[in-house]
Amino acid sequence: MTRREWLAIISAAPLLKAASGPEPPASPVSIARCASYDEDVTAKLATLFDQLGGMEGLVRNKTVTVKLNMTGSPGIRFQGQAPGLTHYVHPKLVGATAYLLGRAGARRIRFVESPWATAGPLEDVMLDSGWNVRSLESAAAGVEFENTNAQGKSKGYARFKVPGTPYMFPAYDLNRAYQDTDIFVSLAKLKNHDTCGVTLSLKNCFGTTPASIYGDNAGVDEPNEKPTAGRQAVLHEGRRQPSKSAPQELHPDSSREPGYRVPHIVADLVAARPIHLAIIDGIESIAGGEGPWIRGIRKVKPGVLMAGLNPVSTDAVATAVMGYSPRAVRGTAPFRTCDNTLVLAEAHGVGATDLKRIEVRGVPIEQALYRYDT
Amino acid sequence: MRALRWGAVLGFLPLLYAAAPQPSDWVPMRWPWSDAASLELLSGTPTNCLLLKTVAPDFVQAAVARGLVTLAVIAPDGDVAGAVRRAMAAKVTGIAIDGDLPEGAAAAVREAAGSAPVIELTTRNRMALGSNAPIIGTYQGVWPGIAVEEDGAKKAAPSGSVWIDTNTGFIRAVRAWGDATLWMANQPPLKTVVTGARYLQVIADAAISGARWVLALDDDFAARLARREPKSMADWKRMADLLRYFEQHPEWRAMQEYGKLAIVQDPAKGGLLSGGILDMIAVKHTPVRPVPRQHLSAESLAGATMAVNVDADALTPEQKEVLSNFTRSGGMLLTGPPGWKDQSPQGDKITLDKAELERLNDIWRDVNSMVGRRNMGVRLFNVSSMLSNLLASADGKTAVVHLVNYSDYPVEDVAVHFPAEYKRATLTTPEGVAKSLEVYPTEEGGGVDIDKVLVCATIKLEQ
Repeated sequence: MTRREWLAIISAAPLLKAASGPEPPASPVSIARCASYDEDVTAKLATLFDQLGGMEGLVRNKTVTVKLNMTGSPGIRFQGQAPGLTHYVHPKLVGATAYLLGRAGARRIRFVESPWATAGPLEDVMLDSGWNVRSLESAAAGVEFENTNAQGKSKGYARFKVPGTPYMFPAYDLNRAYQDTDIFVSLAKLKNHDTCGVTLSLKNCFGTTPASIYGDNAGVDEPNEKPTAGRQAVLHEGRRQPSKSAPQELHPDSSREPGYRVPHIVADLVAARPIHLAIIDGIESIAGGEGPWIRGIRKVKPGVLMAGLNPVSTDAVATAVMGYSPRAVRGTAPFRTCDNTLVLAEAHGVGATDLKRIEVRGVPIEQALYRYDT
Repeated sequence: MRALRWGAVLGFLPLLYAAAPQPSDWVPMRWPWSDAASLELLSGTPTNCLLLKTVAPDFVQAAVARGLVTLAVIAPDGDVAGAVRRAMAAKVTGIAIDGDLPEGAAAAVREAAGSAPVIELTTRNRMALGSNAPIIGTYQGVWPGIAVEEDGAKKAAPSGSVWIDTNTGFIRAVRAWGDATLWMANQPPLKTVVTGARYLQVIADAAISGARWVLALDDDFAARLARREPKSMADWKRMADLLRYFEQHPEWRAMQEYGKLAIVQDPAKGGLLSGGILDMIAVKHTPVRPVPRQHLSAESLAGATMAVNVDADALTPEQKEVLSNFTRSGGMLLTGPPGWKDQSPQGDKITLDKAELERLNDIWRDVNSMVGRRNMGVRLFNVSSMLSNLLASADGKTAVVHLVNYSDYPVEDVAVHFPAEYKRATLTTPEGVAKSLEVYPTEEGGGVDIDKVLVCATIKLEQ
């Protein structure tokens, strides 16, 4: 990356009007090189954690809930490759996370995801993805799994109110695993997203919404505890409302365009359910979209791992690593047809996108740069 | 009627040479060459039955000298009897009729063939189902593999998995009816590049359900093989290895389809189709036991916990009573929608049209919902690009799970969960792997992990 290119990325901030009020928090972000999953992923991640001040203070004797990114059916593959090599977080990184959190003293480590069109055990989806569930269970004491597409092992849902002025919904009803936790971790993949431009630790949390309430075949009045569809109709397109048991949309006359709706919903969600630790798997991934169902995607090997204690700051750095300005406006890459989720979350006060305020530890952005747009 | 005719046609078989293999052991191939030197390609392969479009006496003599069976391929139109006589004059072992004979032509063919075997490779509709013919065959088949839309995208199945074109449902339905050896004699699609891997998938697609694909090479591959090009020779060897893999295990062919889910269907109707209910269930890897409507009995449902009656109106009162008793004894029964008639192939069309597929999808969704996470014999994970088949020995003490990978990439980290009665598991592959697998406990009983599947793998489970 040339100095001119670097300046172009970090000086994009004036493109957007700064939000009024106190400056949103910024937090250091660590970057490590990791060329493949055959390297010592655990050691690399441990270095990132050390650079962030260690995990003991954050997780010791705590329940830690880790939201994975396992978007789409595990049956749909890109060029026959294991999903962890393309659009899912890789199971080796998941295992490394469990091991290191356990070593740091976490009392319970609960992996959660709302996988595509099922409320069955998350372990089944993992097995269908080629993951070794037994290995994950043995990576640390107290490892659990929960499919958060429905109420699952709990009774009823937890309501997460959006602080301040919500964009889309006043509150969201989620599986109780997101409430019954001390620490919430977003373990994401470094990818483009067809609707949101990029999908990182913030967008990963779109998958916290249960299909039982926000799915295409969600119950009208009450949640459908056996959902079998995705979430296009309610959240992406607003063609119907969530189950009446949950808070309804604030502005039913607002845009139905997914490029508007999804970024705003994500910003709401991460304000309502704060992320304490963001980890981004950029070792191997795909560019051009979030999964094999998006035309024109291609395999990429950025060879990076990232982590940070503020998800907006972490995503800002990750977006820069992908070769974009984290404060780019709608109509410019990567937010060509959508609003900028990072800036929307920043406006909610979740975190800072301004790279000048974010300390990068480990590998500098310009050395980690891997352009997703060719 | 057809069964009787078949019995007459094939009620022969003092074979020409005592040393020649029995029809049930014939490993067939459409042989594209007629020079004796080409027979060298068969060294070390299990192929022992050549289907010859061009019959040259010298070539036949050379083949016989190698202990091979030769069948003259005769088209069913024109002077069929004359063509048969000319072929017999060249001393072929028998005749393969490649298509449907006109009504009444069989007698003339029989007379012309004398005591030689006549194999009919017919449309699916004209197969002699349930006959005592040692070999029944069809030239109609889908070309197995992961289905691709016209725009190049992979076609998704309702499960969110890729859809796999396969003949396995058809083969299972036919084999549930009778013990005849089944030949799939469909040929590679025209104007299509067929990779070596694809040939392996086609061989395995037939073999995992107990049939044999009549090996048929596309022109390009045949030309390259004739020139002994190294790449084509390597592919040829892999094909031979895969054929040998299945031929070395005749016990697999003797095993029965096993599953706690029974599909009651008329093999002569919907069972003849590809892409029907059996194939839909196959994509979900739910072990299923096809029960021909004609064989429906309490015994045929023994051990089943769920049954699907595809065409309810087709059952006799006695057959309906069998299903009533099944439900009274705790079995779950799913019946096709009222008025829905199981379709059968029409002419060259062996798959369902869109409207029928939609209606069948409704049944499929109900089956899926009914089965849920239940273990109907075995549960498989990370197998979206694969098809599987669960077979069990007559005493139930041994079962095998065949896996075929239809993608062009190896599949890693497959998990297999099975009921607790199976204590030991062994993995074998065509590449020569033969090893015991560690059985670990699962909520269903036991489980094993398989590191990698190239094209095919078999897990043997023993009590």
